Amino acid sequence: MAKSDELAQIIIGCKNGDSNCFSQVVDMYASRCYGYFYRLTSNNDLSDELLSELFVKLVEKIASYKGGSFDGWIFKIASNIFHDYLRTKQRRKKLLDVQKKQLELEITEPKKSDNEQIDKLQIQLTRLDTDTRELIMLRFYSELGFKEIAAMRSEPIGTTLAKLHRGLKKLRELMR
Amino acid sequence: MNGRNDENLKELFEKFLDAEQAQKYVEDVQKAEQILRENPAPEPDDMLIANIKAEIAMRLPARKTYVFKHIAYKVVSIAAAVVFLTAIGLRLFEKDDSKPSPVQRASIIPTAIWESDDITTDDADLAIFTIEIEQIEDEMMVLQFGEDDTNGDSSVSELEMELIEINNSDFWKG
Repeated sequence: MAKSDELAQIIIGCKNGDSNCFSQVVDMYASRCYGYFYRLTSNNDLSDELLSELFVKLVEKIASYKGGSFDGWIFKIASNIFHDYLRTKQRRKKLLDVQKKQLELEITEPKKSDNEQIDKLQIQLTRLDTDTRELIMLRFYSELGFKEIAAMRSEPIGTTLAKLHRGLKKLRELMR
Repeated sequence: MNGRNDENLKELFEKFLDAEQAQKYVEDVQKAEQILRENPAPEPDDMLIANIKAEIAMRLPARKTYVFKHIAYKVVSIAAAVVFLTAIGLRLFEKDDSKPSPVQRASIIPTAIWESDDITTDDADLAIFTIEIEQIEDEMMVLQFGEDDTNGDSSVSELEMELIEINNSDFWKG
């Protein structure tokens, strides 16, 4: 409870344009949101970019936060940013039909950048479809309950549970 | 907030599955989530965090200016709308004012009639007086809408003469 009170104070500070409060939000969420982006994109540079975009959006949209789960709110923005990224990829894919195959690989295959170590989990995650991968990451990094995740994805809770169970079971098999 | 730590996963699965199956599903989820915990994703670079904080600090004054401008534009538009509506309101009010109200009409009835006790004579005088007023009103209307075929100046003079005559005459005294 004390934590949520503290967070509420920080959010009020953010709404008043206090840069220290925004810094606190960055410290609180950067790690989880980065993990979320990284596990979805398999790319450090891209995750850096998406994380920066997330916090810029946070500054722009903080006035529209009307209470409720802040984790849910921030991960909803993160999810939208990831989907925008996917749509941009799709558009590029349509424009550059010749490079279609290559771009698809870009989305799904882990790509090493400077000093980047691709772990086994990351390799196996790319074998799951984007939707399932996103659901697993949303569940793991956002720390939201199933009800909130289902509401965020606008689908029945039964569907969310079934998809997640299927995805995690497959991941376990892949990791063996 | 109903976060991950607060929810009862088994209870949730039991809504869709029997108790035994629900238990198995919960274990599947927990084991898989354990794998995720054992393989943490890389942490964001300290330099990246510092850059993000610097960018936020840089954007905040611009955001404040934007919000201030936004509010200022709103206030100016509201003020303009108020001035515009007031102007329209006043114009309409003036139009309504062009017709003499009953109070105004009553106020031009000579004091002698108000003070007189001779009701029969006063009634007759009032009837004449009302006819006179209506006649003047008609003439005013004709003048106002330019429907007068004759010379406008002479009509005005005639009207003025009539008003002077009413004012000076003692017809209500009987």
